[in-house]
Amino acid sequence: MRRLLMAPLSSVGRSALGLAETIGGATLLFGRILRALIPPRFDRDETWRQLYGVGVKSYAIVVVTALFVGAIMVIQTAFYVRRTGATSLLGYGVGFTVFAEIGPILIGLMFSGRVGANTTAELGTMVVTEQVDALRALAIDPIRYLVVPRFVAMMIMMGLLMVLGDGFAIIGATLTADTLIGVDPSVLISSLLESHLLDEYLLGLGKALCFGVSISVLSCWFGLGVRGGATGVGRAVNNSVVANAAAIFFIDFVVGWLFPVGL
Amino acid sequence: MIEFIDIHKSFGPKRVLKGVSLTVDQGQVLYVIGSSGAGKSVLVKHLVGLLRPDSGRIILDGRDVTWLSEAEFYAVRKKCAMVFQNSTLFDSMSILDNVALPYRKHFRLSRDEASRRALDKLALVQMEDAARRFPGDLGDGLRKRVAIARALTLEPEFVIFDEPTTGLDPVAAANVDALIRSLRNDTGVTAIVVSHDLRSIFSVADRIAMIYDGNIRLDGTPQEFRASDDPVVSQFINGRADGPMKI
Repeated sequence: MRRLLMAPLSSVGRSALGLAETIGGATLLFGRILRALIPPRFDRDETWRQLYGVGVKSYAIVVVTALFVGAIMVIQTAFYVRRTGATSLLGYGVGFTVFAEIGPILIGLMFSGRVGANTTAELGTMVVTEQVDALRALAIDPIRYLVVPRFVAMMIMMGLLMVLGDGFAIIGATLTADTLIGVDPSVLISSLLESHLLDEYLLGLGKALCFGVSISVLSCWFGLGVRGGATGVGRAVNNSVVANAAAIFFIDFVVGWLFPVGL
Repeated sequence: MIEFIDIHKSFGPKRVLKGVSLTVDQGQVLYVIGSSGAGKSVLVKHLVGLLRPDSGRIILDGRDVTWLSEAEFYAVRKKCAMVFQNSTLFDSMSILDNVALPYRKHFRLSRDEASRRALDKLALVQMEDAARRFPGDLGDGLRKRVAIARALTLEPEFVIFDEPTTGLDPVAAANVDALIRSLRNDTGVTAIVVSHDLRSIFSVADRIAMIYDGNIRLDGTPQEFRASDDPVVSQFINGRADGPMKI
């Protein structure tokens, strides 16, 4: 009976300890990454390889996600636009939600699922096959050689993919507005341009950069912390995806709270 | 010279090393032998800081390296290379890039110059023809040779080989043995070889130390091992299933 009562408590305790370990470990790793960046001492070849890999791996999924994000925003507002005839507000509505909120979150989630999970699996496999120890044995710092290039690549690419994603979201919105509710593309574009959404656009870009930082740090932390062979790699990838998604929502909340726009 | 002094190491409740003391003289090839899980690899990993002892000291050329920081250990690792049991070549790189990597990182050489030097090292192990291939394309024996070439890039004074012939066919194993012998004879490196390959042990070793139950059971020449009347040593070197050894 006592064991039955204690089980939920110990489960909560274990989760709290796991969370504290993740936050503490990831923060320490972030500190080590910053130390390696000032002054910059990391492998440039590996950074180029990562920039290419991350960009190529992600752009297609980001483009598809962005097209649907734009389209969905139009579908959600179509009813009110039809009813009120407020077509001139369609560009503002789509731009505001896509640039500041939905775009960064959905693209961040897709990016973390695609690139973050891949990074955790790759580093985790390197750990269990002793490739990380082999680097250390060759007197090569795994943080500078493996982690910092991935950090730089993910941060830069998340920003660039956000710019790309915003563009394709507007394309998706324009096509959907034209096809489904008969709003001429020029009306939506001019409504968007007249809405002066630069603050929202920059806020979204800032969020994307923050997501890039958190995805890279958490993915690398879970990857380097793998124990126990193939099972351990699978568990780490799972934890990494969950932690990245939670971090994205948390960062979105904090940034949105600190830098309110559209008020 | 390398000295392990009273090394203790546990993983959770399992006490792996219970006060191992061992000395390796300059230019010597020392084989550390023992059954699987005896703690051979655990012991040698302490030398390059991949593991830290619970207690005890490790002295390398008169310097206590036991509690050096990770950054301080990099200087030790340039002097003391390690060839891992599973070769641990980097999958994403060609054989040439694997061997060129330490040149690029430590000597700040151009890509071309690093590749040229890497090819020289690959030639030492007769692997220059495989330079453009990837680790996944090679068999275990060939990967081991590449791993040895990579370990030699920093011109180490000491080399640790962790089970270099395990899983190899007899010809590939004999090739690796010949490489270790030629390294000792041609470059004078001091080598610690972790192994339970009896053929290798008695064809290459200058000295042998057997780890059993967390301690050194016998430390001596191959002749002393052959002549030993210790039942544990005798069971191991004769490869008998029956005897006092605890598995």
